[in-house]
Amino acid sequence: MKGKKGRLLIILFFLLPFLLTLASLSIGRYHIPPADLGKTLVRTVLPTSFPGVPPEYRDILLRIRLPRLLLALLAGAALSVSGASLQALFRNPLVNEYILGISFGAAFGAALSLVFLGKGFPPQIAAFLFALGAVLAVLLVSGRAGSHTVSLLLTGVIVSAFFQALLSLIEFFANPYALQSLFFWLMGSLSLATWADLVISLPVMALGTAGLVLMRWRLNVLSLSEEEAAALGVNVRREKLLVIVLTSLSTAAVTAVAGVIGWIGLIVPHLVRMMFGADNRKVVPLSAALGASVLIVADDITRVAASFEIPIGILTSLIGIPFFIFLLGRSRKVWL
Amino acid sequence: MSVEVRSLSFGYGEFRLSVAGLRFESRQVASIVGRNGAGKSTLLKCLGGVLPVPRRSVLVGGRDLAELKSPERARLISYVPQEIAPALNYGVLDFVLMGRAAFVPTFSVPSREDRRLAEEAVGFVGLAGFEDRDFSQLSSGERRLALVARTLAQSPDVFLLDEPTTFLDPRHEVEVMELCRKLAVEKGKTVIVTLHNLEMAVKYSDEMVFLKKGRVAASGPPDGVLSEALLEEVYDIPMAIVPFDGRKLILR
Amino acid sequence: MALTLRTAVAGIVMTLVTAAGPAAALQAGGQEALAVRDSLGRNVVLPRHPEKVLSLQPEITRIVAALGAGDRLVGADYFILKHDHLFPIVFPGARDLPAVSNTPEDMNFEMVLRLDPDVIFVSPTELQMVDALQGKLKRPVAALASMGSFEKLVEEILLVGEILGREARAAELAADFRARVASVRRAVASVPAGERPRVYLSFWGMLTRTPVAYEPVDAAGGVNCALGMLPANLGTIATVAQAEQILEWRPDIVLVQGNYPPRERTVTTEGILRDKRFGSLPAVRNGRVYYTFGFWYWWDPALVLVETLYLARLFHPEATGPFDLEREANAIFKKYYGIEGAYSSLCRVLECGGWDER
Repeated sequence: MKGKKGRLLIILFFLLPFLLTLASLSIGRYHIPPADLGKTLVRTVLPTSFPGVPPEYRDILLRIRLPRLLLALLAGAALSVSGASLQALFRNPLVNEYILGISFGAAFGAALSLVFLGKGFPPQIAAFLFALGAVLAVLLVSGRAGSHTVSLLLTGVIVSAFFQALLSLIEFFANPYALQSLFFWLMGSLSLATWADLVISLPVMALGTAGLVLMRWRLNVLSLSEEEAAALGVNVRREKLLVIVLTSLSTAAVTAVAGVIGWIGLIVPHLVRMMFGADNRKVVPLSAALGASVLIVADDITRVAASFEIPIGILTSLIGIPFFIFLLGRSRKVWL
Repeated sequence: MSVEVRSLSFGYGEFRLSVAGLRFESRQVASIVGRNGAGKSTLLKCLGGVLPVPRRSVLVGGRDLAELKSPERARLISYVPQEIAPALNYGVLDFVLMGRAAFVPTFSVPSREDRRLAEEAVGFVGLAGFEDRDFSQLSSGERRLALVARTLAQSPDVFLLDEPTTFLDPRHEVEVMELCRKLAVEKGKTVIVTLHNLEMAVKYSDEMVFLKKGRVAASGPPDGVLSEALLEEVYDIPMAIVPFDGRKLILR
Repeated sequence: MALTLRTAVAGIVMTLVTAAGPAAALQAGGQEALAVRDSLGRNVVLPRHPEKVLSLQPEITRIVAALGAGDRLVGADYFILKHDHLFPIVFPGARDLPAVSNTPEDMNFEMVLRLDPDVIFVSPTELQMVDALQGKLKRPVAALASMGSFEKLVEEILLVGEILGREARAAELAADFRARVASVRRAVASVPAGERPRVYLSFWGMLTRTPVAYEPVDAAGGVNCALGMLPANLGTIATVAQAEQILEWRPDIVLVQGNYPPRERTVTTEGILRDKRFGSLPAVRNGRVYYTFGFWYWWDPALVLVETLYLARLFHPEATGPFDLEREANAIFKKYYGIEGAYSSLCRVLECGGWDER
């Protein structure tokens, strides 16, 4: 994609998430007429205006739809950027943001908290901490081996399996009261997060994502072999660690409040590369934009398609995979 | 920028490189030759900081190589591997631009000046017009040139090229060696290459270093040091040196 | 093309849903065996009068105890033996039973073989597992559950009675059950449709998880908001509603599952009343958020009767008139399990004394 057409497309990509957010405020099971939508938004700023508007409109917009949309926006961006960064770092198109053990670390942490600390303690904190703990375990264990990149991936797989086993153990012994919400959360859903959750997790997501976007050119250099990157004067170990820390923070923050949302971190970066090439200066920010858009659209679909909640991971793959197949024949070569 | 090897010793497994008293000057092309496994690449990697060296064993421009930090070292000396296996299909200019890594802070993108230097490097190696071409579309020789361009964008004072002509067709072989001379003469760089092609080494080097089993068998200007006896000692087969049209042909 | 596909899918779904229908004896296959169609629509041949019964379905376990055949149980599942607060009260022999599994996936096969049961009951949630289980254990496995329907519960009681040779007792309980439900329905029959409260049920530890079918609510003269929705998994009656959907339903009453000790409850009435998202619900505005019993793994027949009485009084106190719930409840439990004061004991654990006070 070169030239004017490419530039126009890029602008569209960046506008899309915001347009979708605005449009999605009007989508939901509870029908709010578009006219009242505007009035309700005004009412939130000036509470005395438009007294005729039903009060539940404001509850729906501010307490149900808005937090959910903000989460979709930031989570979509965070997961896509993390996936893109790790794919470049590990020089591997099959890598996703959960590869270093985050998904099962978080699930185990949440389960542990629900069972042993009870309902008084929010499981999101334990989920976040254990997600990061899993990554730490991966870094420590693989640090003993020689070649950095390969052993990280392998250790990630092993640590994931370890936490998965521990999780099964907890599920076995726990009483059913404690673990009910866990199973739903494991399938990934934007419906579980409240404003209290978001106040803490959104900034972390934003921080991690912003850091990675700032490192977007650096990722080009880090995608070279360790030998080449070192010859170019880069402190490879330290900068790879930095990328891993940033992706882990973002992904753990998302997983703690929304569960495991698959496919976004894998497919979105590929879609972007197929359209715009391998240069991470474009790939990283565009992945953020596209990931946010995809997640918003997927969530919109879950909200209207049925009165019950559909796990969002199913939809992200249903949306992403046809695009992937469509682009497969048409794109330039990205991976060598 | 001169490179002085005071006393370098590096070993792994059963192999041991032991070199002392070598000096490489700027504005010159030096070639390191020898059999496979003689330690040519190892020596080059040590000089480039890819393999760790003990203190005070190698001095670059009078400074201790072992004391230099990564970005500092990258601005002085750069090792160009024989082969690279890129994972992503960057465009040529984007690829060359990566050479500026030592000059761009971690959380920044390259500046206009960085871009200009990259474009200049692309032109210097003869790849002008190839900026937007994808790496996968380049031939072997063109890839080698792009690699040199990237190193040029890095603007070190010392270029270490590991077997830059291997696997290239004769024309590209000549192009690369001409480029080495150009780097030395026009840009004043110190260029050190490892070669198998002795004729190329003789034709293009100001200085030659013969390695055998990790040790220096001989070093000096080609005219001074080249002899059939030396060749037989280093390569373990009899060779003949035949003068032809002002050049030297080496027959085996 | 799309229409045909949709019709086909609907047809398949309907078949599966109705197949999870009445568990009935197909024909008396002779004195030794009984051919049965279980809740998954499978035809299973069960031996008559089995001496050893392994019940991994809590509802069936309770029915076996109520039929007076509790001594024939050789084992039960982990939930009813370790986490259910009611079962040890109504069946003291429970403490001697081994816990064989949590879910059929982690069934202790060796223990099963050692216990050597003649018949095994499981829950229909384990859709794919049941046939495999039967093949592996070489014993008949029947998947039964009431799916939130009284009639199916009664049929279950009769079926289990027939299998165990306790037909008379089963008929007695079935008649009693039907009579009590009928009397409640009669009491609230006079309430016009417009005055039947819309009820949202929050069960199973998540505010948004709700049963798609819950007959006590209907029998007590209410309307379950989630009635008719598709369950999240086939073989269960649970679904997860969207928060917005709950707002759109505008329930008059919200009922929260209270069938486990207060300190373990993740969803509480106070929590819902404080939840700013639901401030506009009639139920919240009028403070009509209460606990009810509900269930974790299917019903206890005595408790669900008590629940129906409780709900009837809650929804329509004028129609039912005042009555002593605790006394009625203890009487029901005495009839089913022969234990005195069982309801009072349960109520102490659940602290259900003040549930419907406002």
